[in-house]
Amino acid sequence: MHIVVCVKAVPSTTEVKMDPKTNTIVRDGRQAVVNPFDATGLEIALHIKDECAAAGDPCRVTVLSMGIPDTERLLRDCIARGADDGLLLSDRAFAGADTLATTYALSRGIACMDEPADLVVCGKMAVDGDTAQIGPELAGALDVPCVVDVQRLHGIVGSTLALERATDAGRELVEVDLPAVITVAKDAAQLRMPSIAGVLAAEGVPIAVKTAADVDADPARTGLSGSPTQVVRSFVPERASEAVCVTGDAAEQAAALVELIEEACR
Amino acid sequence: MVDVLPWTSEFDEYLRDESRSTGDADSISFPRTEGDIRTVMRSLYGATGPDGRPVPVTVQGARTGLAAGAVPAGGHVMNLSRANAYLGLRRDQTGSYLVRVQPGVVLAELRRHLARHTIPCAGWDAASLAALEELYAGPEQFFPTDPTETSACIGGMAACNASGARSYAYGPMRPHVASLRVVLADGDVVALRRGEVFARGRHLTLETEGGRTIELDLPTYTMPATKNASGYFVADDMDPIDLFIGSDGTLGIISELELILSPVPQVSWGINCFFGTEDDAIGFTCAVRPALAHACALEYFDAAALDILRRQRERSTAFSALPALDDAWGCCVYVELACDDEAEALADLARLRDILAACGGSEDATWVGRTDVDRECQRFFRHAVPESVNMLIDERRRTDPTITKLGSDMSVPDDRLRDVVRLYRESLAAAGLESAAWGHIGNNHLHVNVLPRDAADYAAGKRLFQTWARAVTDMGGAVSAEHGVGKLKRDFLAVMYGADHIREMAALKRQLDPYGQLGQGNLFAVDTCEGGA
Repeated sequence: MHIVVCVKAVPSTTEVKMDPKTNTIVRDGRQAVVNPFDATGLEIALHIKDECAAAGDPCRVTVLSMGIPDTERLLRDCIARGADDGLLLSDRAFAGADTLATTYALSRGIACMDEPADLVVCGKMAVDGDTAQIGPELAGALDVPCVVDVQRLHGIVGSTLALERATDAGRELVEVDLPAVITVAKDAAQLRMPSIAGVLAAEGVPIAVKTAADVDADPARTGLSGSPTQVVRSFVPERASEAVCVTGDAAEQAAALVELIEEACR
Repeated sequence: MVDVLPWTSEFDEYLRDESRSTGDADSISFPRTEGDIRTVMRSLYGATGPDGRPVPVTVQGARTGLAAGAVPAGGHVMNLSRANAYLGLRRDQTGSYLVRVQPGVVLAELRRHLARHTIPCAGWDAASLAALEELYAGPEQFFPTDPTETSACIGGMAACNASGARSYAYGPMRPHVASLRVVLADGDVVALRRGEVFARGRHLTLETEGGRTIELDLPTYTMPATKNASGYFVADDMDPIDLFIGSDGTLGIISELELILSPVPQVSWGINCFFGTEDDAIGFTCAVRPALAHACALEYFDAAALDILRRQRERSTAFSALPALDDAWGCCVYVELACDDEAEALADLARLRDILAACGGSEDATWVGRTDVDRECQRFFRHAVPESVNMLIDERRRTDPTITKLGSDMSVPDDRLRDVVRLYRESLAAAGLESAAWGHIGNNHLHVNVLPRDAADYAAGKRLFQTWARAVTDMGGAVSAEHGVGKLKRDFLAVMYGADHIREMAALKRQLDPYGQLGQGNLFAVDTCEGGA
């Protein structure tokens, strides 16, 4: 089995710095971490790899990202934790991509791998973008089924994956035939820490870095030119709070409270 | 303006500290400035209480101490948590930054302000503001002393010469304090800057800002060559600033400190190394110490500590974020590396791999924390052990309120690590006591915690600690390595130094505090110090 895990470099969630003039996130390589949802996705993939190993079945986990050259550092960290290899799509041509262009680039990366992907795992969303679009769009691009918001992996039998996903009504048990794309919730698993053996071994693993041309990407569908999304303005929402004092006896206070709630709902 | 407030029940929390001991008091004050402290001390100096004895004055900070040093023994409580201003900044001739603070500044806040460049600087002079601009423009700085309890305040940390995991590389608080201002029992002030004045042998002359000259005869004992927070720091030709640091609030009231900041290491990695047996973990520690130049912490967790974490992880959602512990892992040594670059850290990691292989460990049975998320996970792992033990004891106290946790704080020289661990294991087994041990194995300083199930266990544990105090002293160790002596460990201090040296300490105190008012009951019993002006 070949599992591809898509990971995105995001600013460290504990110390996000905003540029006060542009209201955009200050991104520098030092603060970048793997998107926490994608980290969970990696753990799900590594868990399947462990299960396959226990059953004597071969399993390979490849981590895939589109980003600046420094993202290679994060892919190497994923390898230290148990992934087998990594592919970084890094090219100025990819810059300014929205989710559609990103999905296209990732699909080209997967298409150019030396082994077809049986399962593609994505985080449900990224903590800096919150779109939750990459997984479903990638499934569309690859023309495979998609299960979103996976909470738990129940098992894998042959080429069928049994999963539990969150829905508006509760939980749903799903079986999906591979190849497929799944997106995982952040709390579905906890990413293991690397061992000394893993860290030292990862240092010697070459990470493929490919340009748009390397993966035969159509220039009209990559980066800014392939992005129909127009960002008009980004800003930090102002935090506002207002206190209203409700007085009177219990019945009067309750009535006043109801009125306030109704007013807020109008 | 500061008020001396009569005691009411609203102040009852100030009768306790983290040692879970409770005292009593008649009044309390919350000074905000050195002037406030002096005003209170002038009003109390030599004053007597209803019993005709001098009014004790117990100084408190954040009350996070574990030796009951801040628990009042009657009289007045001076709580300095509101004296928490940042006063200025300068660079010395070596380029180090020195930040001047009041004693109530909390460690966690200091760290946050340094990391986020938000040090409150209203009212600072131009030179301090210029130094602040330089500080923010240059490499990130930090204050290296790192007790587990980050809500500790700087004054309290100095009073007990606090340490922490990184003391393995950085030492305790003492060398990171460049200057102190100390209010004496009579309200006069001594200003001490490191390197300016020295004792002559064991005689020290101090000049106060009020123009007095105080001649002090220092105790004659020799301190153990280990991590040590037991009693007064004394040495031939010593710097007097070192006497006041670690004096448990008995010689004066620290009203201002100048802290030496250090550059944050470029690369900071944590490595949990798991072993099947305690013997292997000790062998690993002994091998790592000379081989790893960039280790800044070497911490230990024994089998019982790991079992407690396994149970907590299963039972409580609050601990579900703990990483899973393999059943084969019997104990853990945590190594923290502080390196200039990743290549240096990787070279150390390769050395660790080789040492593990030679000491019965495995490069696979390790966790390497290199990201913020992983390091936070390791921090949670380390701090979850004492937190879980406290929860366990609280649970047991519901059935027997007389018991409490008994935690040791003793250290020995490097070559006695195996001996002291053998002593702990054999005597705990012989007494049939439940325990969990963790702490600073790099400094041969383990916190062995007896977990009493009933009053009999509690009494047996206390007896055991007394025998350990004797044995550790015979090994050339210290009965308190980082918590200070306070009120809970003064019997151990008597074992360590003997009655004659305790009397010397009390005599020294009397020269600075003739009525024996400050920190009464800390280090030695009240009657040891009685004398009067």
